[in-house]
Amino acid sequence: MTAPAAPSIEVRGVTKRFGRVTALDDVDLTVPKGAVHGLLGHNGAGKSTLVGILATLLRPTGGSVRVAGLDVLERPAQVRRRIAVTGQQTTLDLTMSGRDNLYMTARLLGAGRRAARARTGRLLEAFELTAAADRPARAYSGGMRRRLDLAMTLVRRSEVVFLDEPGTGLDPASRLATWDMVRRLTATGTTVVLTTQHLEEADRLADAVTVLADGRVVATGSPEELKRRIGRRSATVHLATAADTLTADHALAGAGLHPECDHPRRALTVTLNRDRDLTAVVRALDAAAIEPTRLTLAEPGLDQVYLALTGHRRTEAP
Amino acid sequence: MTVRAPLTTDRPHEPLTGSGDWHGAPTTTQIGILTARSMRALVLNRRLLIIGLLESLVMLVAFGQVFSGLAYAPGFPAGVRYVDFLLPALLLTTTLQSGIQAGIGVTDDAQSGILDRLRSMPVWPGSILIARSLAGLARGALRLAVLLALARVLFGYDPAGGARGVLAAAGLSLALSWSLGWLFIALACWIDQTEALHATAGLVMFPLMYASNAFVPVGGLPGWLRRIARYNPVSHGIDSARDLCLTGTTGPGVLNAVLAGLLIAVLAAAAAVRGLSRAR
Repeated sequence: MTAPAAPSIEVRGVTKRFGRVTALDDVDLTVPKGAVHGLLGHNGAGKSTLVGILATLLRPTGGSVRVAGLDVLERPAQVRRRIAVTGQQTTLDLTMSGRDNLYMTARLLGAGRRAARARTGRLLEAFELTAAADRPARAYSGGMRRRLDLAMTLVRRSEVVFLDEPGTGLDPASRLATWDMVRRLTATGTTVVLTTQHLEEADRLADAVTVLADGRVVATGSPEELKRRIGRRSATVHLATAADTLTADHALAGAGLHPECDHPRRALTVTLNRDRDLTAVVRALDAAAIEPTRLTLAEPGLDQVYLALTGHRRTEAP
Repeated sequence: MTVRAPLTTDRPHEPLTGSGDWHGAPTTTQIGILTARSMRALVLNRRLLIIGLLESLVMLVAFGQVFSGLAYAPGFPAGVRYVDFLLPALLLTTTLQSGIQAGIGVTDDAQSGILDRLRSMPVWPGSILIARSLAGLARGALRLAVLLALARVLFGYDPAGGARGVLAAAGLSLALSWSLGWLFIALACWIDQTEALHATAGLVMFPLMYASNAFVPVGGLPGWLRRIARYNPVSHGIDSARDLCLTGTTGPGVLNAVLAGLLIAVLAAAAAVRGLSRAR
């Protein structure tokens, strides 16, 4: 039997304090090689701080961190040879053109002149920046800057790629393209750590997510696992008349099901906290002689899980 | 809706990312690439370039005219015009401004975020700083050329040391200001903010230039300031530059100035690299 592959990222008991503020408190994280791991959390939850530590840009106050099998505190230079980072803020030289930013990155990474030129041209084309390639990045729109930033992260193949809110400033089409990019990255064995506030992004891309709140890990697992564990299914009953809606509301409330009533749409939604609650809905309606026009079942979403875990914390910047 | 697909699907066989064998360029290549980048900014930022050149003109005219009466003060070297006395000091003042600009380049990089990208890449932090200091040196050389040309045209500057003496003084000023410029780069690496660096650089520049023989002979300073001025490496540098400009030769003071500058450069560069490398 072969031993399981070492994880790509191992974080144990990491704490980070900025003066009196504790940004991270005893955080654990394990990411297997080639996986996409989502970091979710409200603004100020500690996501970017954790990425900063993993990317050797911040020093933890306590705990241990290994990236690509290397201790980030003991061997930061070696870690940097294996990672690529897209920060929350764009990290470009705004005085330089998109082409020069990419070319410089490729040359600094060790590409020869010809290889750097070829790679630059390919990335400009891929990220639809060719037409603006020779304009200073200062003149780019927010979305173009973000695309250039992502392109700079992909100049070479890295073992671990950190994407800190990569969708920020992107239009829906570019965001979908970024998702495609992440999938293609993992297909080549690259590990991706993705921080996001777009729950759909994490749901679609991540093999596992870690939810942070106020610097602490409040849950970790696959999106499906978390939805199963924390989320709740719901049933929505659609009715033909306003009178039926009122009767059904009384019937379901009488059965202890606490329906949420949407009078204009003549719909009642019941959270199914227990397996038998769906049967109870059908029985209560039958007993009241109500025949719904439609009964729909909704699986729990990651947004529901997120809100349940973070306690509906504010999402605006502190 | 059109879905944009990075690395277009017409080449699905092509890997998404580049070579996995690129683990960082040699240090000399890094310095070359980053110096070229800093130089490009120097040339392209016309506003900064023009302000820098105007500053030389303003300093020359302002100091040359406002303090010209000092040439008649007791203790002032006999037979020397104030502009001839002043210009070697302006050589150093002008090039030191470029040292401050090198530091500001570092804080600008920190604020634009490019520094974080470079710090997360296999790039030696020293390469980033050496590149900035070399670009500062080039900027300083350009400003010196403009200053000397203006002095010649506006004030008929033609000291007894001749062109060779003036060039040697300019070279010495560049060397000393490059060394002292590391102080500002080190400050930039620990301060991280352009506004704070501006304020701190002013605090450092003031004693360096005014507690020295830059604008008046040391003999004309109060006792306590005279003692500081005698140990100030800037005084030694300006003394030597004056000797070179006025006589074409210089004494052992030049060695003191160069050694003091070198010591400051080594210590400040070490502090700068440490400041930049630190994980915040």
